[in-house]
Amino acid sequence: MSGEIIRMKGTRTGLELSFAEGVSFPRIETEIISRLESIEGNFFTRGTEVSIRNGTFPGDQMARLKKIFNQHGLRFSVAEKVEKNIDLPMEKSPDKVPEEEKMIVVNHTLRGGQEIRAKGSVMVFGNVNPGAQIIAGGNIDIRGTCRGIVHAGAFGDVNAFVVADHLIPLQIRIADFFSRSPDDLDPAELNVKSNYPERASVKDGQIVVEPIKR
Amino acid sequence: MCEVMVVTSGKGGVGKTTTTANIGVGLAMRGKRVAVIDTDTGLRNLDLLLGLENRIMYDLVDVTSGRVAYKKALVRHKKFETLYLLPTSQVRDKSAVKPEQLVELVTEMRNEFDYILIDCPAGLEQGFQTAIAAADVALVVTTPEISSVRDADKIIGELGRADKETIKLIVNRIRPMMVEKGDMLNMDDINEILSLECIGQIPDDEAVVTATNRGEPVITIDSSMAGRAYRNIVARICGEAVPFMTFPREGFLARLRRLFGM
Repeated sequence: MSGEIIRMKGTRTGLELSFAEGVSFPRIETEIISRLESIEGNFFTRGTEVSIRNGTFPGDQMARLKKIFNQHGLRFSVAEKVEKNIDLPMEKSPDKVPEEEKMIVVNHTLRGGQEIRAKGSVMVFGNVNPGAQIIAGGNIDIRGTCRGIVHAGAFGDVNAFVVADHLIPLQIRIADFFSRSPDDLDPAELNVKSNYPERASVKDGQIVVEPIKR
Repeated sequence: MCEVMVVTSGKGGVGKTTTTANIGVGLAMRGKRVAVIDTDTGLRNLDLLLGLENRIMYDLVDVTSGRVAYKKALVRHKKFETLYLLPTSQVRDKSAVKPEQLVELVTEMRNEFDYILIDCPAGLEQGFQTAIAAADVALVVTTPEISSVRDADKIIGELGRADKETIKLIVNRIRPMMVEKGDMLNMDDINEILSLECIGQIPDDEAVVTATNRGEPVITIDSSMAGRAYRNIVARICGEAVPFMTFPREGFLARLRRLFGM
């Protein structure tokens, strides 16, 4: 039966063809042409990508097949190896999100002595009190007052930043950069000075704090 | 319904024991059945403040180790008959009482009392963990000093970790003059860091020292400002809405007198 000469398998990109063993190339060629030219039972709609595993035929025969497919408006390619376990990105389950992309959300005030360590970013709905510490691989966002020690981009990401409604930390660290609160500023004065959201990031080799809107 | 309150602070010397003694006496003055438990094993002081040192027969360690029933160890206050003290051992250390032992004891005592006050030792170690284990409510005592507020913050974090959700704040040893001049943290500064419901603001008062030495808590002294502040705390614990007292500014004459050392 002619149906057994050509076998078709759906792949991520199109159809992969394989052929019954011991069938000569001319016979396969005529079979393909007849399939392409017949109206009934033609699986090869235009634009389909057809592939044949590498090494099935010698190079010149592959080239002939490519020409035939191209004439009928199909794309032809040589597949390098068997595709196993095709994992489509949309099929990934949520827990397969890499650690670095996860965000930790803290729903309370961080008090003295408490510490948050995360590979990814950290968001705090509350204050970060003096003596508390956040060490994050990503960014740090504090919806409250930051008085503790914050280290964003702890694994070397210089593009990381720290945002807080009221940014008066003891220390800010971003990647390898370091900055501490000025010694000569009165804490009460500091309270008044930055009563708006601010963002700390690295610019020209130093930590810069600038007001933001949000 | 019995309410179990632990009085804690983190930092030493801010007035935990004084607060425990005064609130205990204050509640007893209102006719409530009160037990105060000292958990500062090895460094007990609560008995001194209540003037009951010479009446102690057994202690907390005797009770938790099963040697005597807790009722035998209770010391009744000489003046306020509904107030009982459960003192702790002066010779053992904090490891002598385990958290689960105290929980068991307090569960047993709940039926007999309206309020159980637990005086917590300073620090974060086992003594603290034991003291808070049985409590429904934590009263955190702090003074308007940065170190004391910092420690209170840390303690509040620890209480949160131990699932103690009801935490109230008492600020002790306020010196109104210094606050006014901006030399001492004011209530706003403290609230900003601790953000807790405050149930007491106690002024610094020499009467506390003399009362402590006599073994009669300051709450019994009508004329004392600190005594009044403690009475207000007790009222708030009993569910009354009492406004915070305003501290009278030092009058011109008094200032003049002080100036000349009179």
